[in-house]
Amino acid sequence: MTPLPDRASCRCLLADGRVATVTATRRPRAGRADVKCSGVPALAGAMQQVVRLARHTEARSDSRDQVVLSIDIDPGTRDWEFAAVLADRMVRGLYRASEPVCANGWSDHWQFGRIDGHVIPASPSTAATMLGGPDAGAIAHLGALTGQPDVADVVSSARAWFPLHSGGINDSLGWVEVSVFPLAAFDAGDDAIAVPGLDVTRQLAVRQVLLGSRDFDRCAPGRWRTTVRFAQPRFQGHSYELALVMADRLARGREYVARGRMIATGMSSAWHAGQVETVEGMAPKCALIAASATDGDRILLPQAWQAMLPPGFVDQVRASGATVACVGQIGMF
Amino acid sequence: MMHRLFQRRPRAAPVTPGGAVLAVRMAGSMPPGCIGVAVDGAGHTRRLAAGARSTLAPGEYAWCFHPGPYQLLLTPFLAAPEMGLQLSVVVDSPDPLAGQQRFDLYLASEGDQAVGVAGFQAALDAALQRELAQGGLALPPCTQLDEWHAFRSGLNELLYMRFGVTVDECIPVDLAGQVDYAALLAQRAVADVQVMTPAAVAAPAPAPVPVPVAPGPDSAALRRLFLELPPVAARLRLLDIAAFARQRALLQRFELASLAVLTMPALALAAPGQPLAPSLQLRRTRHAWRAVAALDEAWALLARAGRSEEDILLDDAERIAANLEDALAARRAVPLEAT
Repeated sequence: MTPLPDRASCRCLLADGRVATVTATRRPRAGRADVKCSGVPALAGAMQQVVRLARHTEARSDSRDQVVLSIDIDPGTRDWEFAAVLADRMVRGLYRASEPVCANGWSDHWQFGRIDGHVIPASPSTAATMLGGPDAGAIAHLGALTGQPDVADVVSSARAWFPLHSGGINDSLGWVEVSVFPLAAFDAGDDAIAVPGLDVTRQLAVRQVLLGSRDFDRCAPGRWRTTVRFAQPRFQGHSYELALVMADRLARGREYVARGRMIATGMSSAWHAGQVETVEGMAPKCALIAASATDGDRILLPQAWQAMLPPGFVDQVRASGATVACVGQIGMF
Repeated sequence: MMHRLFQRRPRAAPVTPGGAVLAVRMAGSMPPGCIGVAVDGAGHTRRLAAGARSTLAPGEYAWCFHPGPYQLLLTPFLAAPEMGLQLSVVVDSPDPLAGQQRFDLYLASEGDQAVGVAGFQAALDAALQRELAQGGLALPPCTQLDEWHAFRSGLNELLYMRFGVTVDECIPVDLAGQVDYAALLAQRAVADVQVMTPAAVAAPAPAPVPVPVAPGPDSAALRRLFLELPPVAARLRLLDIAAFARQRALLQRFELASLAVLTMPALALAAPGQPLAPSLQLRRTRHAWRAVAALDEAWALLARAGRSEEDILLDDAERIAANLEDALAARRAVPLEAT
């Protein structure tokens, strides 16, 4: 377990280009309020209410610490709400980010974890910003931070992460999101899988993978309308396939849910049999996964890697609270 | 008075435990194959001799339950309704070392008039889901065999510690034939049409927060705390913990919590003779149930005490004690303003 930070901050982009910073500090509570906000009284009151409501979606409550929140610029809009919630989670170790986070979003339903929208328009300048809301690629639910589907939403969407290895400093974890919505009539067949942003060959590959793994599940064809989105659509290779399949199974309610993120790498030439085959680049991918695994994450690797995993990898992953399994087949055991 | 004594009471059809009902309050003689439990006013329980005509002391009432086995279907994750666990549970023969059987305590503190199998299954489901969400048990995607065994033993201990039932059999089942997730989602879509408002372009003023409801009456929460906090503290005392000072401090905090429950002010009174507004009563009820949630976590903690590291265990116990104290203090306080 990594120790908790004493202070965390989350930024929020304003419409005029300025950046507001929400800072959260943690200190022993000693009988005081659980959340305290400093600053303009109206804004502080609203912030306290937002954070308290968002805490209802957490599984584990801890009243030992007091969190003090403050924001340096009065933003004028409600776009700071998501940043305040994230800062409150970061300082208590419930959300861990490797790089500084910038988040915009507001909601009337924080107690359900739903995020209703964001005020600043999406543009190239907001590419590095985490936007909240029901738009494509945005975060519509606090559970989406770890990829879990919203249990009250009509569209069930789940995310899984996979290592993107480009041979150096740009290695990162990319996510794939699968959203499913029930089809009214059983007539659409394969055409109900949409992959916006990818070229035709890749769209076809994604469709083949999904149809194969659903065949393995004995899922009746034409039951779901599916949308697949990638965090960044430019990548090579097939190692995303296992993550895609797991996200699809999670979204369709066919897989147990990990407490944290699902990080997977692997491919298959026979998804209809549920087999997982090996992929290249084990050493850099393992290093990347070990560095970014946090508490509750589930890591799935191909079975062939089991015997040659780098020494200390499993221990390092376990120490950070994640679990790892080398699978030759999807599903249990 | 006289005419009421001789009037024949309308009698409900006798419910026999064993089928859809786990246990009932017993009125006359015990049905065959059942086990009787007498509960007195202070919540002490004793087993009644099987077959014998029950002799109850004044103030006592009797439960009878059938030991089972009962077939239950649990859903470990709300987000995965097509993945279930098929359980077969029994109420095992009494543990001779225990002063009070855990199942008897369950009947005394949580049983109302009858314990139905459906309600019992829902309670087990809630306990399992909470434990999985908090990380005490793990059932990760693509579960491996060793992980499954660890989950199984953890589940056995959790259900025995929390409900006093023994798991005979636990099989993961695919509910694809019985549960249609697509249909569930479509139902949500129909339900949402009335609620959904068109998405606002710019964020409007914050909407008023709906008042949450309490999961039950205040008296039921206080009864559970009153009856279950002392046994929790007693089991905590029996744990093999090297850090003596921390354990002693914990026990003191649990005893103070028991004392706080014993001296808890009445729900409807702000001060002697001064009634409390209903909205504030609701708030007090919610705090009482918050304390019950901490109590449930304490049972789950006792269940995993054998396989957890001492430091993590103590840290978690201190968190639970802090939550308990916080909720009880809020239940006791007289809130200043109405919501």
